[in-house]
Amino acid sequence: MTIPVADLADPPKPPMFGERQRFMLLLIAPAVVALIFFQIVPILTGANASFRDWSLHDPKYTWVGLKHYWYVLSDPGFVWTVMPNTLVFMAVSVAVSLVFGLGLALILNRQFAGRAVLQTILLLPLMVAPVVAAIMIRWMFNDQFGIVNVVFEALGLPQQPWLAQRWTAFGVILVADIWLWTPWFALLLLAGLQSLPKEPFEAAAIDGASRWRVFRYLTLPMLRSVMVVCIVIRGIDAFRTFDIVWTISAGGPARSTELFSIYAYIEAFQAMNFARGSAAAIIGAIIIVVLAMVVFRLLNRWMEVSK
Amino acid sequence: MGLPTHTARRHLLSGLAALGLALALPAAAEAQVELKVGYMKHPIQDASLDMMDKWAKANNVKLTRVAMAYNIFMEKVTATLTSGNDQFDVIWHNDDWGQLWEKWLEPTDDVAGMDTMSKSPLDAFWSADKKMTVVPMAYTVGTFFYRSDLVKPEEVPKTFDQLVSVSQRLQKEGKVKWGYVGGMSFNNTWFAQWWTMWANNCDIFHPLFERDNVKLKAAGFKPAIADPCHRQVIEFWWDAINTHKISPPGMTAYGRNEANALFMAGDAAFTLVDSTHYGDFMDPNKSKIVGKIGMAPFPVGPNAKVPTAWHEIWGWGIPKGSPPEKKKLAKAMLGAMMLDEEGQIEMWKKTGGPPPNNKILAKIAATDPVFKQLQNAVFDQKPVTHSAYYFAEWPAVHKAYSDVTIKALSGKREDIQKTLEEGAPLLTKAATN
Repeated sequence: MTIPVADLADPPKPPMFGERQRFMLLLIAPAVVALIFFQIVPILTGANASFRDWSLHDPKYTWVGLKHYWYVLSDPGFVWTVMPNTLVFMAVSVAVSLVFGLGLALILNRQFAGRAVLQTILLLPLMVAPVVAAIMIRWMFNDQFGIVNVVFEALGLPQQPWLAQRWTAFGVILVADIWLWTPWFALLLLAGLQSLPKEPFEAAAIDGASRWRVFRYLTLPMLRSVMVVCIVIRGIDAFRTFDIVWTISAGGPARSTELFSIYAYIEAFQAMNFARGSAAAIIGAIIIVVLAMVVFRLLNRWMEVSK
Repeated sequence: MGLPTHTARRHLLSGLAALGLALALPAAAEAQVELKVGYMKHPIQDASLDMMDKWAKANNVKLTRVAMAYNIFMEKVTATLTSGNDQFDVIWHNDDWGQLWEKWLEPTDDVAGMDTMSKSPLDAFWSADKKMTVVPMAYTVGTFFYRSDLVKPEEVPKTFDQLVSVSQRLQKEGKVKWGYVGGMSFNNTWFAQWWTMWANNCDIFHPLFERDNVKLKAAGFKPAIADPCHRQVIEFWWDAINTHKISPPGMTAYGRNEANALFMAGDAAFTLVDSTHYGDFMDPNKSKIVGKIGMAPFPVGPNAKVPTAWHEIWGWGIPKGSPPEKKKLAKAMLGAMMLDEEGQIEMWKKTGGPPPNNKILAKIAATDPVFKQLQNAVFDQKPVTHSAYYFAEWPAVHKAYSDVTIKALSGKREDIQKTLEEGAPLLTKAATN
């Protein structure tokens, strides 16, 4: 008796992806394509440029190795002004926005008349484009026409040339950023507050715990996971802030309020050295990845300890 | 008896194809060609574009205006040009970045009306193979404006010292809050540091007032910013802001918009800006000083004897990446603009931008009293300097210069010389990249 050839062949392999997986892949395909073309390809192009002689107006594309990286890392302006500015900006903006956001979230977590209206008003900054907000703030702090100096004058205080000095200009930038981002913290922390279980708070109320003790020993620990996520996401975002700084001070006076993204932009597009700007951007990216990992681990450890 | 099905289908398809062709042909014949112009929103450019629009409508061309902010214009257009794409068919061109784009722009020597233009303002726009790469739109001339209702022509300051004394008198009399306002921050350097630098017989690099790149390179791009003539200029501004208080304390952060806003609000007696802003100063919707503005030669610094001036141009360039048929149309359109007498006179009246066509300019000069003032303030003055350098690294030098001088102005007076000396090598570094 002969056995049919078909019966001797290996049984057909199941497809690599089932129908469900294929459908899921199809759904994410547009996002992946967009990510590849608008994120991955530009990053690879920039990384490639950072190793070459690639001026914006006359690119030669010749390989120069780490020359641009060395230039950036040995530039006193980058090391002693740009990086400290960036780290201070990130720390202060995130910390103050977090504190204000938490305060707002605690207020909004209570029931009172007009709560919905207040919530809408407090969220308004989130709806304003950062550049628009920055233009408004720039004029508010104008030394001649600005409302801030009008208030100072009314209070008998000396008028200030806010944008003409390093630390006042830096302060204005921080005010703008904190104003823009506090509602974001408030929104996420409010969602976190509303998802907390009620039982521990009821038990604390029965035990007669004070408001401060409830906040210190119940609310804050239970909200930490949300806070960690907020801090890490916002920290990364703050590190690469560009728009409000560019609009308010353009990194001035005399490059004294430059953050790392402004530095990269100036090198790439004002000094016309695309390669050097790319090298600065890659260095910044490495720093923020390392920093984010460290912060995340520290905060995680803090959470574990506090448990 | 009917046709077989396949024959009927073939006839139907042929009929549809013929109908489609019949509809498409006239449409193709009448289709408008689009010319895209990359520009900055500015009265002078809008006036120039209006002239082009006139030509475009008469020639069935669709003119699309793509406005970009001044702060990012040069960077954005440089990236576009070097990518070789055809995003723009015409772009705003400026002597500040003349040499930066020489490789990427179409020669314009053959555009009608180019022979009506003075040669010196075109120095920035020659390509390496000696071809012109711009079609002028208007002269941009730094102009010293004063409040004619407060200062008689004979009282207009002729020296830096007089600028201080007249300003202080007007401030003391309560007529103005400030004496002089002008943009200082990058890239508004012309409106304070630079006009006073040239008016003090000084410059950025040695040899002073040299614009030949070969000679500048041979001199090692040696900065002049720590020279006594330049220190005097920075000290003048430091004193103007901090000691004499004739200029606002925040002026180091001002662009020309802030300075113009103060001048138009009637808060300052003097300013210096391109004459192309005269239209704004005379616009009752924007300005409180309409009809109260005079023009005069630059006040002179202690290191100079006579006023100086600059007359550069703004213009239009045609990217090499634009398709050949569009380049041809762009040249025809720009030629029509250059020869549009009525349009150029209108542009002058509306904006204060002197037309580039010398024949038309002469007609205006013969009859227009405002132009006579401008002629005295700028065009009649000798020596004439160029208000920029013409090598590709110039934008980086400009930025470095701005940073050094703003740092000097933001610090202590006694540190000015030290800051300039420390900053000077940064200019050489920027020039030699």
